[in-house]
Amino acid sequence: MSSTTTTQAAPVVRRVRVRDLPVEQQRAIRARQLRRAGTYVLAITIAVWIMLPIWLVGTLAFSTPADVRAYPKQAAPIPFSTDTMEFFLNARGVLPATRNSIVVALLTLTLSTAIAAPAGYAVARYFFRGRDAYRLGILAVRAFPIVILAVPLAVTFRNWGIFDRVYSVALMHTALTLPTTILVVSSVFASVPRELEEAAKVFGCNAFEAFLRVVMPLALPGIAASAIFTFVMSWNEVFAAVVLTLENRTLPALILYNLDKSGDPFKFAGGFFMLVPSLIFIFFMRRYLFNMWGQITK
Amino acid sequence: MKFRNMSWAPYLLLLPSFAYLLLFFGWPMVQSLQLAFRRDSQILPLRAEPASEEAAITGELERGTTVEVRDVQLFETKAAGGLLTDKVFWLEVSGLNPEGETVQGWALRGQVFVADASRSATGTVRAGSATLRAEAQPDAEPVGELPQGAEIAILAWGKVDSRIAAGGLLQKPQNWLKVSGETADGQTVEGWVERAPIFLKDAKISATGRVQSGEGSKEWTLDYVKRMLNDAKFSQALKTTLLLIVLILPVQFTLAIIMALVLQSQLRFNSFFLYLYAIPLGISDLAAGLVWYTIFTQSGYLNSLLQSLGIIDKPFIFISSANKEWIIIAIVLAEIWRATSLVMVIVVSGLQAIPRDYLEAGEIFGASLWQRLRHIILPLLKPSLQVALILRTILAFQVFAVVVAISGGDVVTTLANETYRWYDISSYNNKNVAAAYSGFIMLLSLGIAIFYLRAVRTQEEKEAVG
Amino acid sequence: MAEIRIENAVKTFGKVVAVNQVSLTVHDQEFVVLLGPSGCGKTTLLRAVAGLGMVDSGRIMIGDRDVTYLPPKARDISMVFQGYAIFPHMNVFDNIAFGLRMKRTPKEEIARRVRESAELLHIEEFLERFPSQLSGGQRQRVAVARAIAVHSGVLLMDEPLSNLDALLRLRMRAELKRLLNEIRATTIYVTHDQIEALSMGDRIAVMRSGEILQFDSPTRVYDVPADRFVAGFIGTPPMNFLEGQVRRENGVPCVAIGDFMLAPIPEMYEELARRDGKPILVGIRAENMETLDAPAADALRVKVLVVEPLGSQNLLTIQIGSDVIKASTHPDFAVAANQDVWIRLPGDKIRWIDRETGRTIIPDLESLVSAS
Repeated sequence: MSSTTTTQAAPVVRRVRVRDLPVEQQRAIRARQLRRAGTYVLAITIAVWIMLPIWLVGTLAFSTPADVRAYPKQAAPIPFSTDTMEFFLNARGVLPATRNSIVVALLTLTLSTAIAAPAGYAVARYFFRGRDAYRLGILAVRAFPIVILAVPLAVTFRNWGIFDRVYSVALMHTALTLPTTILVVSSVFASVPRELEEAAKVFGCNAFEAFLRVVMPLALPGIAASAIFTFVMSWNEVFAAVVLTLENRTLPALILYNLDKSGDPFKFAGGFFMLVPSLIFIFFMRRYLFNMWGQITK
Repeated sequence: MKFRNMSWAPYLLLLPSFAYLLLFFGWPMVQSLQLAFRRDSQILPLRAEPASEEAAITGELERGTTVEVRDVQLFETKAAGGLLTDKVFWLEVSGLNPEGETVQGWALRGQVFVADASRSATGTVRAGSATLRAEAQPDAEPVGELPQGAEIAILAWGKVDSRIAAGGLLQKPQNWLKVSGETADGQTVEGWVERAPIFLKDAKISATGRVQSGEGSKEWTLDYVKRMLNDAKFSQALKTTLLLIVLILPVQFTLAIIMALVLQSQLRFNSFFLYLYAIPLGISDLAAGLVWYTIFTQSGYLNSLLQSLGIIDKPFIFISSANKEWIIIAIVLAEIWRATSLVMVIVVSGLQAIPRDYLEAGEIFGASLWQRLRHIILPLLKPSLQVALILRTILAFQVFAVVVAISGGDVVTTLANETYRWYDISSYNNKNVAAAYSGFIMLLSLGIAIFYLRAVRTQEEKEAVG
Repeated sequence: MAEIRIENAVKTFGKVVAVNQVSLTVHDQEFVVLLGPSGCGKTTLLRAVAGLGMVDSGRIMIGDRDVTYLPPKARDISMVFQGYAIFPHMNVFDNIAFGLRMKRTPKEEIARRVRESAELLHIEEFLERFPSQLSGGQRQRVAVARAIAVHSGVLLMDEPLSNLDALLRLRMRAELKRLLNEIRATTIYVTHDQIEALSMGDRIAVMRSGEILQFDSPTRVYDVPADRFVAGFIGTPPMNFLEGQVRRENGVPCVAIGDFMLAPIPEMYEELARRDGKPILVGIRAENMETLDAPAADALRVKVLVVEPLGSQNLLTIQIGSDVIKASTHPDFAVAANQDVWIRLPGDKIRWIDRETGRTIIPDLESLVSAS
């Protein structure tokens, strides 16, 4: 606050040459530099390990059909061609399945957020009997292999007459994402200080207005990230999708079901097409990564 | 911690989520147990005599059982005070009961759907003469006349008369028969004749059918579970699933800890590295499988590399039934590539929760990096690692799409893969055994989940104390 | 008129009784400080007045209105929160205008009053900034500006200065006092800092375990603490206590501290005589003792353990029998650790505390205060 305005003379930094230092210090500095360099090498190696396979499948997805079939394979898409990608996108069922996938993911996102938001708020803001039991239950459900429940659910859906519908897949995916969404949303709400809400009330808001004017704007980025997370989960989910659909396949279900019938170009392009959204989504969610996946006990 | 007054508001807010999970998590779980342990079958009792609902039961057949039809008898029953007569057919059938024994007895025709009936029989013309016609229609062109008493061979049963055929297959021969016989002038003719004037001898029915209905019955059964356990693929799938866990988890955790430490060491472009390391979080197992398929397939990148290095002179077929271990290696690599990020994120949040003081204290007291890792970081990370371990283990029980994408799921199979195979309509199409599989996976996970809850509990207790 | 009257307020959290049958009246335009250690129920009481937590039983009146079960918005109050509670998604102007907007004040009026409050707190140049661009002290000012902008009759402050560093706190203390003098709202101010309470409040309610121990002016709370707790809680250093025993010497009651006989003022005779032979606590403030470097008949010989020069005074840590007490001396008084000095305890400055009840024995309060 009370910073002086007198101009300070620039500090004099005398550079010390390493070789002028005593041997002991030289060694220490060298060792530190070496460790640092080693860490960079390690960091880059891991980055390559993660990015190389993506690069390779991307290469195949954008090579000419001839290059896709060629052996040995080339390491870069030269010449660049969208033929393989177009072939995939024009393959029977791919576009409708992509549309289905998007519809399922959007439905899941909406449903999941709509159900999780009140629950998350309750867990974050209220202390009530059974709160801990509820949270533990949600943690347990999240750890559970919900996807596997698609098999009995398929039988139920047949009985209800909603088997092989786009929205029935979304119902399943909502069950899949709901526990995580509840935990994330509740942590987002918990990160909005209670005092802010109280201040809003003191200055003339009722409970709902306080939520709308103060809590919601502050929680929105976190909830958006959680919505994206839900979208990714649904977009990627294959087991439940392939079990619950026959005609109205989602994209992963379609690709999986047609794997043994389709050639390599279809697989390469399909693999790449499926992972592109994750590159984008993770970029937008990187601030919330630890909220989404790192949350284990909170 | 301030407690608000008890109120119904939080419960109201929780209600939708609670109801939803009950409906789409609790109920399927019950349903799964029902499918796996309850035989929801219709059992058809076979009678010792035809046309009698009171006759002794000689055996029971499950709905869907294939049976052989041994005999057919027609009975007329009086209905509506004797004004109407109704014709009913009784079939004598034999088939395998649920216990696997052959049983034989009588059942109503409607209860057994007869698929391909064929009869061989001979007959004679009973009264007057029989007109053979070109088609099985009363106004069709006559092709010959058979005198009374003429011996005939029956060539075919029934020309479809739609009005009657709707009632069932065996009704058809009653109307028209394709026969051959000698006319009065010694000519052999072939044609269709009405059933009525023909007397059939030596009727032999050769027909197969399927039990179509019966009395509904539900009973507890271990059949589906036994069927799962006895299936040759079951132990394979279990072994593979466990093998994958054993192979993947140690490497994955080591790698995840290394990645987390690298991210913690404040490099330049740290957030960029974090982004790269986190990308696999958003990649599906199917996509990951396909990505690694491009590497391991016969004309894939691994062969391309090995050949250009001159290590091999023709592509090696990694993915074939002869090279199971290579398939496993490919799956392991794909899973490590895809799912290590998840562990990493958990470890990084665990690391962030460790106060810097501890690490710096370690440094001050002369601990090397390895010593710090061994004596400070890992012990403090233990709760996080534990939870990550359990989460990963449960996820490993669900390994499915990676396997299918890399190898098609035939040579190497996992529990989830078997679940799908039993469920799949174009494969075994048996929801019950599929449910038994899913129940088995749930059971395995439940054990892990209980363990998980304990771990979380003790951790929360520790936090509450600390 | 915005008198605040709390009548028999009770608030429990599970088994914990946070506020126990508290009654308190704050006059119109008065500045009352609720002072006490953490967990004494002062914040709970404030929140009950604010309407942020309803009392279990009892009544809260603001002016002539019973507001016990009204929501905050219906109480005509404003509040400064401990963590400021500045809305991070609004700039300073919108933060200050928040309460006015909620009351649907006309636009020009809002602009005028925001400017006015901002000027009072010297933050008019920050109106366009967002809270993340402000320092802790500036945020604090925004919180106060927001609270006074609504011109409510009642201003509640929950440890508003506790998140500031020491120097800033000192400055804000005086500034707040000036400001509150100017706006003349009825104020309840919660703090655990007794200096803040002494320096700012018209009256101080000292609380412990959900009860008000003493509700009095700062001078009286300091000079005549109602009991041992208040005496030990207020003042830096807190009041010293010496173990003594009431004796009768020549028909006059006096108190023995070891071999030393302490003579009380005559006003105390009656009360002390009733406790003949019983132990009693002798309370005396550090600045009320006279320190001598030579023996005197009415002085007690003691050993100095530590000498802490504080600039304006030297603080001596002194051992008397098994008791360790603090005495302040003029900085020129030459003394070093391990020396002996003599202290004189003036009878009118001594507070006698009943050993059993812990209550200060006050025969005639008026005479004591006038004597000091």
